[in-house]
Amino acid sequence: MSVSVAGSAPQKVRSHVGGMNPWQVFRIAWRAILGNPLRSVLTTLGVIIGVAAVVALTMVGQGSTANITRSLQSLGTNLITIGSNTGGRGGGFGLVRFGGPQTITLADAEAVQSAFADRIVGIAPTLQSNQQVKVGANNLNATVIGTWPDYASVRNAQPASGSFFNETDLQSRRRVAVIGYGIAQDLFGGQDPIGQRIRIAGISFTVVGVLPDKGDSGFASPNYQVMVPLSTYLQRLARSSSTGQPRVNAIYVQAPDKDALPRLQQELTDFMAQRRKVTDPSEYDFSVQNQADALASVNQVTQTMTLFLGGVAGISLLVGGIGIMNIMLVSVTERTREIGIRKALGAKPRDILTQFLVESVVLSVGGGILGILLGLAMAGSVGQLLRVTPVFDPFSMVLAFLFSVAVGVFFGFYPASRAARLDPVESLRYE
Amino acid sequence: MTVVALHQVRKVYKSGALEFEALKGVSLEIRQGEMVALMGPSGSGKTTLMQIIGLLDRPTEGRYVLAGRDVTTLTENQRAEVRNQEIGFVFQAFHLLPRLNVLENVEVPLTYAGYSPQERRERALEVLQKVGLGDKLKNLPSQLSGGQKQRVAIARALAMRPSILLADEPTGNLDSKTAVEVMRLFQELNDEGTSVIIVTHEPDIAEYTGRIVRIRDGQIESDGPNPHRKRAVGGVA
Ligand SMILES: Nc1ncnc2c1ncn2[C@@H]1O[C@H](COP(=O)(O)OP(=O)(O)OP(=O)(O)O)[C@@H](O)[C@H]1O
Ligand SMILES: [Mg+2]
Repeated sequence: MSVSVAGSAPQKVRSHVGGMNPWQVFRIAWRAILGNPLRSVLTTLGVIIGVAAVVALTMVGQGSTANITRSLQSLGTNLITIGSNTGGRGGGFGLVRFGGPQTITLADAEAVQSAFADRIVGIAPTLQSNQQVKVGANNLNATVIGTWPDYASVRNAQPASGSFFNETDLQSRRRVAVIGYGIAQDLFGGQDPIGQRIRIAGISFTVVGVLPDKGDSGFASPNYQVMVPLSTYLQRLARSSSTGQPRVNAIYVQAPDKDALPRLQQELTDFMAQRRKVTDPSEYDFSVQNQADALASVNQVTQTMTLFLGGVAGISLLVGGIGIMNIMLVSVTERTREIGIRKALGAKPRDILTQFLVESVVLSVGGGILGILLGLAMAGSVGQLLRVTPVFDPFSMVLAFLFSVAVGVFFGFYPASRAARLDPVESLRYE
Repeated sequence: MTVVALHQVRKVYKSGALEFEALKGVSLEIRQGEMVALMGPSGSGKTTLMQIIGLLDRPTEGRYVLAGRDVTTLTENQRAEVRNQEIGFVFQAFHLLPRLNVLENVEVPLTYAGYSPQERRERALEVLQKVGLGDKLKNLPSQLSGGQKQRVAIARALAMRPSILLADEPTGNLDSKTAVEVMRLFQELNDEGTSVIIVTHEPDIAEYTGRIVRIRDGQIESDGPNPHRKRAVGGVA
């Protein structure tokens, strides 16, 4: 016995006037996308690549910023650096330029030492070069730094075993060396290097101290540095050109506390200027920088990079969005008949609009999610390549996600509203 | 009770400067429970008339009262609602959604009406059993025969319990045996009280209806009961 389903009940029972629930809308969109998986992926490629690039670059960028900040801080605390300033503004702190002509001298360091003895905690001029370091048949290239004993405290370079060279070593130009952790590992393997001999540029030195593992900060790693008395360095390792005062790369001065830094920086600047008898700061052939300035300039770099990444993100999302709009327009044309059928069955323009809008948002968000995953993978491998630990930044990921939603809505709206406005009769007749 | 009442309906198609009068003042009343065949030569305006009755298109002039309600001047959204609630369409080319299975196809109009998933399922199952396809729920349209597709389309048209079924050449793509089976289904539905309008070229098909309306050049040529109404017999396709 069959139930009478039509005609007999004039008043209709409508349970929910609101139309479809979001889950159904999502399912319709998802099926449409899965109906053509390759095309969907190709469509979202722009969004995928854009988001991936931003996520990866942000993570690696923040990782290396963190590295630089960390190594700046590990250079020592309350530090002021006097460096050469040859044209334009001086190089960054701790990133003193070694290429150009050196304009500050050992005599500057000695003068600062005697003039500021009561106001500073330590002082260490440095002169450095890359040299071959050899133990038996093993050899490697290391940064060899000639300096004073204060270097240990000023630059945070206290040996983990043995000790730093002392004033006597400096006065007597002894051939003693403090080596970085990496050198000890590579050249001595498991053995204790203290008391052993190494050859630097063919000259024999005795190892008196080994630094602790300073971590691998990518470049200028303290793990691959060798510290020797400056006097010894000048006599044995420096290029024998100098007439007159020996030049140094930098003079590191440690202030007693952070509050003393700005004032000391000013006094040192004035002192150096006075020694050179120049008054116009534009004629200064030296620079005096403190650690806070350097951190600020790193932050500056970070901000610039963030802006740049924002630009990359914007352009790639724009391109990705146009790709999505294009394919949605194609999709609306292809599915004209479907739209006609749905309208004949009672779909309102709003229902059709929602359907296509959700489809484009699902596409772009899918691209965004794939992009985030790809970005994480890229950050991992690029980080490994550059020896940087990428910093996981949930904020940038949420932002990338929200942007891809916005792209989907913005670029999906035009195709969707075109679909919504289609005339049912013509759509049904469409072949 | 009158389900469809058309009064002096004209339809003029305009494309650029060209005008074509497809309907030239058609008046027609269809009462609840009638089964009507709409016949006429190609280009006479049958589809145009069905589209107007089905609220897919608007008349250029004239008045249309559907199930007691004047629907001549409804907004787009109201028309969509009326299509959803009062009209069941069956097309010559079936017009099933190819990516949806049988059950889902039948659920589409229920979805737009806002029924809950359980209600949709219940109603869809009910009408699918009625058309004899209770065992094909998960099939895609491409996995069905022509007769089965048309029965899915009929189930879909019935799902919202419409006031009237509009079928534009529903047997046009079917062989004669299957066509008879589909007509049997229409007759069964009509026996239960559903009003049906069927557009057809074929006198054989018109024989199964109770009233034959002939249209020529956009005008009704004749309109009268079918004295030799045949019963469609035979198994389900
Ligand atoms: N969108 C349109 N623009 C212009 N003319 C149209 C349009 N749609 C239909 N016509 C014309 O109106 C007339 C009636 O068309 P309709 O489709 O109603 O005919 P029909 O009776 O259904 O014919 P058939 O039996 O071939 O399906 C035809 O001459 C057709 O060319
Ligand atoms: Mg026709």
